[in-house]
Amino acid sequence: MSWEPEVKEIERRRKLAQVQGGKDGIARQHASGRLTIRERIEALVDEGSFQEQGLATAIPDYDDDDNLTGYVPANYVVGFGRIDGRRVVVGGEDFTLKGGSPNAAGLRKSVYAEHMAVQFKVPLVRCLEGGGGSVKGGGGRKGGTVGEPVFSAPRFRIIADAMGQVPVVSTAGGAVAGFPAGRMVAAHFAVMARQTAQVMIGGPKLVERALGVSLTKDELGGAHIHCKSGIVDNIAEDEHDAFRQTRQFLSYLPTNVHQRAPRIDCADDPERMEEELLTAIPRDSNAPFDVREIVRMVMDEDSVFEMGREYGPSQMAALARLNGQPVGVLANDCRHYAGAMTAEAGQKYRRFVEMCDTFHVPIVNFVDQPGFMIGPEAERNGTIRYGMAAVCAAAQATVPWASIQIHKGFGVATAAHYGPNAYVLAWPSVESGALPLEGGVAVAFHREIAAAENPDEKRREIEEQLRQARSPFPRAESFAVHELIDPRETRPMLCRWVDWIQPQLEELTGPTTFMMRP
Amino acid sequence: MARVQIESEVTGNVWKVEVAAGDAVQEGDVLIILESMKMEIPVEAPEAGKVAELLVAPEDSVEEDQVVAVIETA
Repeated sequence: MSWEPEVKEIERRRKLAQVQGGKDGIARQHASGRLTIRERIEALVDEGSFQEQGLATAIPDYDDDDNLTGYVPANYVVGFGRIDGRRVVVGGEDFTLKGGSPNAAGLRKSVYAEHMAVQFKVPLVRCLEGGGGSVKGGGGRKGGTVGEPVFSAPRFRIIADAMGQVPVVSTAGGAVAGFPAGRMVAAHFAVMARQTAQVMIGGPKLVERALGVSLTKDELGGAHIHCKSGIVDNIAEDEHDAFRQTRQFLSYLPTNVHQRAPRIDCADDPERMEEELLTAIPRDSNAPFDVREIVRMVMDEDSVFEMGREYGPSQMAALARLNGQPVGVLANDCRHYAGAMTAEAGQKYRRFVEMCDTFHVPIVNFVDQPGFMIGPEAERNGTIRYGMAAVCAAAQATVPWASIQIHKGFGVATAAHYGPNAYVLAWPSVESGALPLEGGVAVAFHREIAAAENPDEKRREIEEQLRQARSPFPRAESFAVHELIDPRETRPMLCRWVDWIQPQLEELTGPTTFMMRP
Repeated sequence: MARVQIESEVTGNVWKVEVAAGDAVQEGDVLIILESMKMEIPVEAPEAGKVAELLVAPEDSVEEDQVVAVIETA
């Protein structure tokens, strides 16, 4: 007697579990320009690499004779896949069933996705779309148990643990609300599709009931809101772009914290010297310039992947490569508040440094820091706390760090731009000190200036004297910087540094711990 | 014909106004120069068109996201 009847039944149930929300549900998903979860996974991972877990998970229905009469698939799909040949865990809600609000088996699989990534030590990519829990679901039925048992482990512990173990990426292709919104931000990189995605704690109906304001999903949590709120890092043009960005982001990071970030062969000449770097910084110190052009010219060709451009825009953060080595790049954008550290820039900065520390990715910092942002709005925003947290993150960083003083470096905020044992290069355009001369002189010499016959002239005279004392040469002579360099030499010097740090990087693996920061 | 509102990206003061109402401008032309944290921050035309309105004058203070000019595009 063979087991063939059961085997046929296994096959049948696996097929039934693939139907998702049926033809109508799938048609609705497509009509609004969104992919289904299975299409998302296919678009994300290497072709044919998806290995699903829980192939037959569902909510079955039986008649009185124990015949299967209904089979609602679990509305969460999870499994292994490969991205550029490297294994990942990928999972996401099936929005065509119950709007992605978890059914029983779906909920188990969504939690398992996190456990899988940590257990198998591979990156986790979440393709999110769903509204989280529903009052219709869960326990409370007559005779059943309610709530979690008192001895259960905290449900979200695994989400927190994952971020210290493996790279985690969240993508939003549609509306993401409730618990899924929490998952969205518990990631090293979060990206949402511009036209089709929204991210909200509570959707329009909840908001109207609670607050009496009527807003659409887009008004509450569309891309235009979150590019500035900072809860997502990047906005993608569509879902395919979100998956392309996900693949690129993961290419800079190790598979887990115990491994090294993958260094690749580099076609770009490490000795390349860009002529335009000589004129990149205007001699007039109040004239703005494009720091992204400087970063682009120094890093490997086409390797710069910027994150969170519109959030805390005075500070740029990007992943990039130098002679094939992944590095985290930080640079001040002087076109926004002269590159000053605002409350948002401080939070962006600390988070980026912590991510590089977690995955042992060296940091390269282009310094043009006029100081913490000042003024009434800056005080209201608590700028000094977030700024000091950024300073502390840098001061306790464990990764190799290179800083290039390209322009300004004033005040305490400047300390955020140097990790311990930083390799420090300076361009001739550097200016630094406790305070910028404009303003600083007026404060420090106010008695002398007030006593002078012509106070304005006196102030300018002192400013000029001090400006001359700020020549870049003494800092090289005193070995206060490693080298004062021709800006064109920046790439060759940094590529050499990348070679020097290889033995350190070999030993720098494993989990990272942080102390409490301000 | 579309009217495009141009917003300041920063809080600061108007230092110079480089165009007059009615001027034709190309994409990337500097309309206004703001001064913020001792940096000169250009406000550029996002697309080609004609300056319809200038809503600020030198020494005015401006807030982040404040509309400073309007251009009419072809």
